[in-house]
Amino acid sequence: MQITSQNFKATAALKLEDPHLRKSLSGLRDRMVVGRTKAAAEVGNFEDLREAGKQLRDHALSHLDIYLEEFERNALANGAKVHWAENSQQMNELVLQIAQQAKVRKIIKSKSMLGEESGLNHFLIKSGIEVRETDLGEYIIEQSGDVPSHIIAPAVHKSKEEISDLFHAKHKLPRKTDIGELTREARMMLRPHFLDADMGITGANFLVAETGTTVIVTNEGNGRMTTTMPRVHVAIAGIEKIAPTLEDVCMLLRLLTRSATAQPISNYITFTTGPKRPGDLDGPEEFHIVIVDAGRSRVLGSELREALRCIRCGACMNHCPVYQNIGGHPYGWVYPGPIGSVLTPAYVGLEKAIDLPNAATFCNQCGVVCPVKIPLPDLMRKLRQQQVEKGLRPWQERLGLKLWTFTASHPGLYSLFFKLAARVGKWMGGSTGLLHRLPGGGWTKGRDMPAPKGKTFRELYAERRP
Amino acid sequence: MSARENILRRVRSALGASSSQDSNRAAATRTNLSAHPRGPMPRMEWDCVVRFKERCIGLSSTVDEVASMEAVPAAVAKYLQAYSLPNVASCWQSLIDLPWKEAGLDLQFRSAHGDDKTGITGCFCAIAETGTLMSLSGAPTPLTNSLLPDTHIAIVPRSRLVASMEDAWDLVRKERGKLPRQVSFISGPSRTADIEMTMVLGIHGPYRVHIVWVQD
Amino acid sequence: MKVGLFVTCLADLMRPRIGFAALKLLESAGYQVVVPLTQTCCGQPGYNSGDRWSGQTLAKKVLGEFKGCDYVVVPSGSCAGMIKVHYPELLAAFPELAKDVDTLVGRTYELTDFLISIAKLDKVPGRFPAAVTYHDSCSGLRELGVKQQPRTLLAKIPNLVLKEMTTPEQCCGFGGTFSLKYGDISARIADQKCDDVTATGADALVLGDLGCMLNIEGRLRRRGDHRTKVLHIAEVLAGMTD
Repeated sequence: MQITSQNFKATAALKLEDPHLRKSLSGLRDRMVVGRTKAAAEVGNFEDLREAGKQLRDHALSHLDIYLEEFERNALANGAKVHWAENSQQMNELVLQIAQQAKVRKIIKSKSMLGEESGLNHFLIKSGIEVRETDLGEYIIEQSGDVPSHIIAPAVHKSKEEISDLFHAKHKLPRKTDIGELTREARMMLRPHFLDADMGITGANFLVAETGTTVIVTNEGNGRMTTTMPRVHVAIAGIEKIAPTLEDVCMLLRLLTRSATAQPISNYITFTTGPKRPGDLDGPEEFHIVIVDAGRSRVLGSELREALRCIRCGACMNHCPVYQNIGGHPYGWVYPGPIGSVLTPAYVGLEKAIDLPNAATFCNQCGVVCPVKIPLPDLMRKLRQQQVEKGLRPWQERLGLKLWTFTASHPGLYSLFFKLAARVGKWMGGSTGLLHRLPGGGWTKGRDMPAPKGKTFRELYAERRP
Repeated sequence: MSARENILRRVRSALGASSSQDSNRAAATRTNLSAHPRGPMPRMEWDCVVRFKERCIGLSSTVDEVASMEAVPAAVAKYLQAYSLPNVASCWQSLIDLPWKEAGLDLQFRSAHGDDKTGITGCFCAIAETGTLMSLSGAPTPLTNSLLPDTHIAIVPRSRLVASMEDAWDLVRKERGKLPRQVSFISGPSRTADIEMTMVLGIHGPYRVHIVWVQD
Repeated sequence: MKVGLFVTCLADLMRPRIGFAALKLLESAGYQVVVPLTQTCCGQPGYNSGDRWSGQTLAKKVLGEFKGCDYVVVPSGSCAGMIKVHYPELLAAFPELAKDVDTLVGRTYELTDFLISIAKLDKVPGRFPAAVTYHDSCSGLRELGVKQQPRTLLAKIPNLVLKEMTTPEQCCGFGGTFSLKYGDISARIADQKCDDVTATGADALVLGDLGCMLNIEGRLRRRGDHRTKVLHIAEVLAGMTD
């Protein structure tokens, strides 16, 4: 996927002015924040689960090589074909090769974030293969030529009216306005593709080492269709997706579905172990698993390792005050919100996503809901440190911090500076006691600044003493 | 070197490990894989049967109850009639011995086609914790019957109810040893909230899931 | 018992009364309060901007200044959180300081937490017969678990009525230098907080962090609300609200 994170500020400014987006995002916030709290309470020991989830993911990551080999061994024994790709480009080429060897003309696809990372659809279409996204949200995005703005609800930024217009234009059917009717129309349009596609591509929420199984979690049923109807199934998965055992999957599921969609369980959890067996009436003849690195091993060896615990629930973005106001697009790549602010610089490069780790209040509303306890603000702070170390911050900021540090290290200078600022501030505040304009304008464009009162604490404290 | 070797080498170097044969690390994984340790289990202070039915209804499924397997076809016929659905359906081969004809039903024992209105299945087991049907693929138990038709009717005998997802896996290990091609956890009718966060039932899978609970 | 008061640089410059209010509360609770006059900044702006050197320089300074105190009390969740939660990591590169860091971390308290957990205050001098709403500042709440303490203290003021917001725990959008670098996003988040404050109909918004105060008050005033008072909890508890 093309990266546009460089335009964060400009895109965010546009999004702040979009009343439709505002409505969609407040709907997301209202549903997901309250919903997750309720769903977490219902299980009775959600905090224990989070701690266990964290430890499990850490264990899987610190034994990743062993579990990957175990996974491969079991997958092969079940008749799956296992491929390895070092990067997105290799993955795309491998999938294309599989498709070409099997003489595939049409592919149906169930949502995959890894596929978004590599621009897989675009790549396959360019190579002459028809590709159809089947998750309703992804289908809307595909049909409108847009990009997703949320990892779980890709089309959350689109209004019903936009989708009505889109379906009317694309499906050439009478314009529907009811959400139920729109959904039914999408079902009707997509059903034939499920039945005549030659190949299905899915991601994987988990790779179960114990059994060589790939797991996907869906609500719509498109994942089941994609893994069952076409004659070839390809599952693409990052190396970090390992869950050692089926029991581990159970635990992660309890965390995932509650955190993602406030559901005690998603409608369909699909565990695929190899291709069609002798006698089976349905299922693909060929089952391929592509295990992809694409930056993961680098992150594993870095100070950002904890980010690899992520199970892609989206709770961090749902709870992020910044995401709640600008939506996913300003983040400019596959993963928006707090996790995106860590993964984007980690996967595509620090210098291509300068704003991301900085555009956060460090409120930690993300960290306290993360089902695997990723310390997102800490990781963003580490990225800020890397930016400073590599000289990627603007000179004004660097100078400002150096001056502040120098001043604050010299109490005499500091107290002189504050004395002056308190007086100037009070004078500028005048009778209202408010500053309407400050240098830079970052603060005062949307806010006043309560003015200082004329004297500092230390002055008054000194006066008070005999 | 192949991509596989490169990736595994990079992973090991990231972990500061020499090889997968490193005995401490290998032992830790072997123990884990053979012992299947369970994580913290949810609070399960409920009666399994009550919980299962409650969860099913919570998932927008409907639940009917019969005394024995022999009574299932009549209950299915009653349901189809109530929803003005035709008395035809595709059904699992494993259920062929029930008195369907006597109940006035004309079933085909095969995997489902894209235009079937109703699919009838059993389940490997049902999970009380989540109101889930666990379905295992296989010749007499194809997966499409619970997926392609608009209406999915599932027969759940009480004897096949387990408390938790972990219990379900234990049962698979005990009775089957090995996983089939696909295991599906099915929890209610297919749904989406992709348009304006509004929940709609029946996107790609069934609109309706009807559970026939058999007391047996 | 000797309590060191860390006034914080923002209170020093912007709202000295908060410092005096904290002083009054601690003294009336029977503590001997010292205010080291060389104190400046806890180092958070540099630390959170990725400048570890800046953070370390100022953290080491704080470490020295409060050495002789039995407790260090801070009328700010975010500065107290900086010391308690982040100093150990920030200063980990200086093993010779480990013991001092440990001691300081153990002795440092956010003001309301101190008044409840250590001073076990049963009376407060403040009188504020009005409806107030309380904003939970992020660092205090999520780093230090300050949630019930301020509410318990407010409940000791006769005729003060607490009207909770729908989402008192929602971030106000301040975020330190975030509020300057991403002013438009920050102001928008503050705007939602103002909506929530206004909807309670409270006469005053009370909170425990000056950064959030300036942010929310600044937005309220820009929106034309000159009625709702914005007060630090220390001011309310100490009866220094005029």
